[in-house]
Amino acid sequence: MDFLKSMAIAATGLRAQAGRMRIISENIANADSTPSAPGADPYRRKIPTFQTEFDRAVGASVVELGKTVTDKSDFQLRYEPGHPAADKNGNVKYPNVNPLVEMTDMREAQRSYQANINVITATRRMLQRTIDILKA
Amino acid sequence: MGLTDIPIFSMLRTRLEWAQARQRVLAENVANSDTPNFRPRDLAPPKFDSLSASTGPVRLATTESGHLPGLGSGGDSFRTEKRGAYDLRPAGNAVNIEDEMMKVAANQMDYQAVTALYTRSLNLLKTAIGKVG
Repeated sequence: MDFLKSMAIAATGLRAQAGRMRIISENIANADSTPSAPGADPYRRKIPTFQTEFDRAVGASVVELGKTVTDKSDFQLRYEPGHPAADKNGNVKYPNVNPLVEMTDMREAQRSYQANINVITATRRMLQRTIDILKA
Repeated sequence: MGLTDIPIFSMLRTRLEWAQARQRVLAENVANSDTPNFRPRDLAPPKFDSLSASTGPVRLATTESGHLPGLGSGGDSFRTEKRGAYDLRPAGNAVNIEDEMMKVAANQMDYQAVTALYTRSLNLLKTAIGKVG
């Protein structure tokens, strides 16, 4: 049935956005994760990717979370000579996570999630209307 | 005679099916609102030209050569809005989430209207067969 398929498609959107939220929260949680050894690399920011996939069972292009890639940008260097992970110049590598970027991404994920919820609500209401014909 | 042999019911059914299919397409658009290189799609509304020929639009008869033709003499007075350029984002995604939400809401109201009409038509039939309530 088409309505159930609509809801299944929207559900894949929900799942993808939830996965994106998971990666964003991972980034935010690790925003200050410093390396344990001197001069080693800290946590590297992860970026979620989306891809369209044709689902044969549903018969439509659904969305799914693609491979998670890492952000290749440079780490932030901070001068903290007393830090256990400081190199010989006294610099500590901090993750390349920008909380502002993560917050904006999070908002976007939230909006997209909401949009998918809206579709499900609308579809459910339409389904309810169909059932109401029976009651008439 | 089946219920769908009655023109109004078959038209309403087509419309309901169209709304269902459209809802699926819109769900696709919304689900893929963050997928790179995804272009949104929409369904063209169904045409009832062949069916409405039997019922036909009501128009004024011109019995004299001097009569002016009345309004509503064919032709669609609604223009279908075609979007020329896509609102393309840098990632190649062209889904406008606000637009899609509007379409979902419109589709829902459309569906509601058609199911209401369907119910009313059923009530008409019930009245005809003498079953009250």
